[in-house]
Amino acid sequence: MDKEVAIIAYAQTPYEADANASREMQVLQVAKAALEAAGLKRDELDTVITANNDYLDGRTISNMRLVEPSGAWRKNESKVEMDGAYAVLYALMRILSGDHGIAMVVGESQASVYAGYVPGTMMLDPTFDRQRGLLNEVSAAALQARAYMHASGVTEEQIAGVAAKNLGNAAKNPLALRSDAGADAAKVLASRMLYSPIRELMTSALCDGACAIILASGKAATKAEKPVWIKGVGFSHDSYLTERSLSRLTSLKDAASRCYSMAGIENPASQIDLAEVHECFAHEELMAYEALGFCPEGEGGAFFDSGATRIDGSLPVNASGGAMCANVVCAAGMARIIEASMQIRGEAGERQVEGVKTALAHGQTGICAQENIVFVLGGE
Amino acid sequence: MAKNEVAVVGVGLSKHVSKRRDVNIAELVWEAVSACYEDAGLKPKDIDAFVTGNMPAFEGVNLPEEWGAGHWGAYGKPLLRITTGGTTGGSVAHGGYYAVASGLCDTVMAVAFEKQSDGNSTAGLNTVAIADAAAQFALGVDPGFLAAFGGGAVGVAVYQASSYMKSSGCTTHHLDKVAALCRNNAALNPYSHLKQPGLTPEDVAKTVLMQYPIRFGHVCPATDGACAMIFTTGEKARKLTDKPAYVLSVASCSDEAAMVGIAGSGTTNVDPCAQESCKIAAAKAYELAGIKDPRREIDLAEPYAPFAHQLLMFYERLLLCDEGEAPSVLDSGSMNLDGELPVCPSGGVISTNAIGASAMERVAECALQIMGKCGERQVKKEVHKAVAHGWGGAVNLNVVAVLSDTPRR
Amino acid sequence: MERFFDGMREGKLMASRCPGCGRVFLPPRMVCERCLTRAEDWVELPLTGSVETFTEAHVRLAPDGTLEDLEDPELIAMVRHDGADTCVAARLDAPQAAVGMRVEAVLDPGAENVLDLLSCYRAAE
Repeated sequence: MDKEVAIIAYAQTPYEADANASREMQVLQVAKAALEAAGLKRDELDTVITANNDYLDGRTISNMRLVEPSGAWRKNESKVEMDGAYAVLYALMRILSGDHGIAMVVGESQASVYAGYVPGTMMLDPTFDRQRGLLNEVSAAALQARAYMHASGVTEEQIAGVAAKNLGNAAKNPLALRSDAGADAAKVLASRMLYSPIRELMTSALCDGACAIILASGKAATKAEKPVWIKGVGFSHDSYLTERSLSRLTSLKDAASRCYSMAGIENPASQIDLAEVHECFAHEELMAYEALGFCPEGEGGAFFDSGATRIDGSLPVNASGGAMCANVVCAAGMARIIEASMQIRGEAGERQVEGVKTALAHGQTGICAQENIVFVLGGE
Repeated sequence: MAKNEVAVVGVGLSKHVSKRRDVNIAELVWEAVSACYEDAGLKPKDIDAFVTGNMPAFEGVNLPEEWGAGHWGAYGKPLLRITTGGTTGGSVAHGGYYAVASGLCDTVMAVAFEKQSDGNSTAGLNTVAIADAAAQFALGVDPGFLAAFGGGAVGVAVYQASSYMKSSGCTTHHLDKVAALCRNNAALNPYSHLKQPGLTPEDVAKTVLMQYPIRFGHVCPATDGACAMIFTTGEKARKLTDKPAYVLSVASCSDEAAMVGIAGSGTTNVDPCAQESCKIAAAKAYELAGIKDPRREIDLAEPYAPFAHQLLMFYERLLLCDEGEAPSVLDSGSMNLDGELPVCPSGGVISTNAIGASAMERVAECALQIMGKCGERQVKKEVHKAVAHGWGGAVNLNVVAVLSDTPRR
Repeated sequence: MERFFDGMREGKLMASRCPGCGRVFLPPRMVCERCLTRAEDWVELPLTGSVETFTEAHVRLAPDGTLEDLEDPELIAMVRHDGADTCVAARLDAPQAAVGMRVEAVLDPGAENVLDLLSCYRAAE
């Protein structure tokens, strides 16, 4: 896509374990901040898409009460019940249809309100897996991690290294909930064992927060300062976790290939300057290196060891700290898109990477990254 | 990227009954999906992406497509989940429209469903009220008072019905007539749930009074069912069928979120029968569709009416007659299958309500009527343009789609 | 699913098979996602299979959503039965596990709850 739809503004709350604000207030905060950043009034919005989940919000029709805070009052509003990156996709579709010029996208959840990993078990096959009580998001991720380690020869040290890298990057992200400038693999490996090989510090930091992103058509974006253009998008869905090979992120690979063909990316490792990956567990970032074509299949561990994905490497991944530092389910993919946009615009402060022209952002939904979406973004 | 014309080339419905104990959610959806592929003459390989949705809290399954989407042919395909409460099916259909209109996809299957017998819908709906209840407790409102106004959607509907009756001159006899009209239409629809051939308004008037003015006979059943539709580009549609149903426009509008059944009103400040958001969505949809005078140009309407009064109320809010005029339009016979502007030829939501699917089934019926595939319930007049509606949330969300036998210019 | 549960009552593992592509589902699925046809053929599978992947659980999910420590860690394995294309996730009663390890299902035909009919796996002889 060539200058058809741009990200013109965005906002995030700080990520907190237990925010002293309702979800409505958090949404209001980011929606207003994004409008202000865009220099727009609420009246100028054509459509609003929210991303939230009824199980996480503890109420059915969870979008219903976000009508006013998201700016959607008496506007064309809808809800995507997936990661917020999919809500950005839906807003993109709406703008490309020609029916809408400017779209507000809002994503939120509050981990302080929902029962941790319980809602995730509601995604399991209800007849068998869910009732047997063995599988949950963490134990399933552990099965995925082991399958991947076996297939790619990745070690626990390398997985711990990813977590340490992201926690270290997070030290320069003022919005991060969890960060540790001095983190190293040994520290991660010393954290509490949950389901082998997954330890406490290899899991993402579930938390409270909200994100807002404003998209505009090429025509509407002409007035915007530093628009970040959507160059490509791809998304895909994989089989249920017991019915596919857990050792590869097949649907991410598929999503990336769709995205790259739209964005004209032939050699991702050299054409992409920076990537923000939604890693719910540390090993998923290594799996993503392979699925996104940053390195050949089976070489995720070696690619990490090369230092390429460190903040000073040739292809920094999760300069923000990724989901290791804050994972607001339903907004985490939006946070990736926002960080990629900030890096392109040169707004990333202490963690700014030099010369980012093309950046990749990834979102996922479902157990073991069953559904994946990839955006490629670019500046002028 | 060129903006695509959008057309419906296939519709599929499952059997709709109270309790499908013989299938699970995914298998129920598979019935609709299979019928849809057959209707369109397409296979899963022809589908670029899927849009899907239901009301998740109703079955107790979060994101059922995670283990179920293989049953609708989505293996290895892009998938987008859209859920918006009662309007879900309509919102999913809108998603199908936008996916094709955007040029990102050529052919998209939209799938909406509900297996209410797997869960407790009223409990699900009551979670809508919990946040309000908490606020009211904080203000010192007696919980017993709140309980008296609970009761899922019926609690909201009675206030709306009373308010509508007061402002329109609609009588309880009109409610009985609406129910009889819909249930008789449903009797001609193989996919409907409550089929009551020969049902008269007098029969409806004899059913139990639930809460004035709503009788048992005025209320939708709880249904297990699924609906699937295939949307594609105008160009591809013309190759697939002689008579595609074009989607001229879609629009939705979200009004102020409401307090459910508190203080004698469906909403805090708004008359529950006002439904300004329906009027706004309808006006936008007609504008995008190039319709200047909906009363003359619309041939058929499928308003979302789980309660009898809503058929009349939404007929007005869809700008098909003046406010307060719908009861006399009903009396004139214009809403009948052989009338000037038939309403709910499918039998409507009052006869069949698989909630997440219901708003899509309105769009599906419009498409089927335009394509001339409705068998016994095919309306007498030729259908060039039809309007499909969905309603939900805390009486605050409305979705509208306009379909036609000719493409948008 | 009844056929699957009834089979285990008789000590048999029944899987569904797609007549189109021959894919074998255990636990059974009634529709094949690859062919979108009814997987109505039934086949009996051996009790043996291989560990596809495993984890040693040091915690379990508590009702409040937190992970509470287990006194004794336990093994959870994903097992692909010989002849099946999908996996079963179950407890593995063994001192240790490895990917590719040969295991067999331990059935408890008298179990009250159908979900306990397949009680666990153990190392195959």
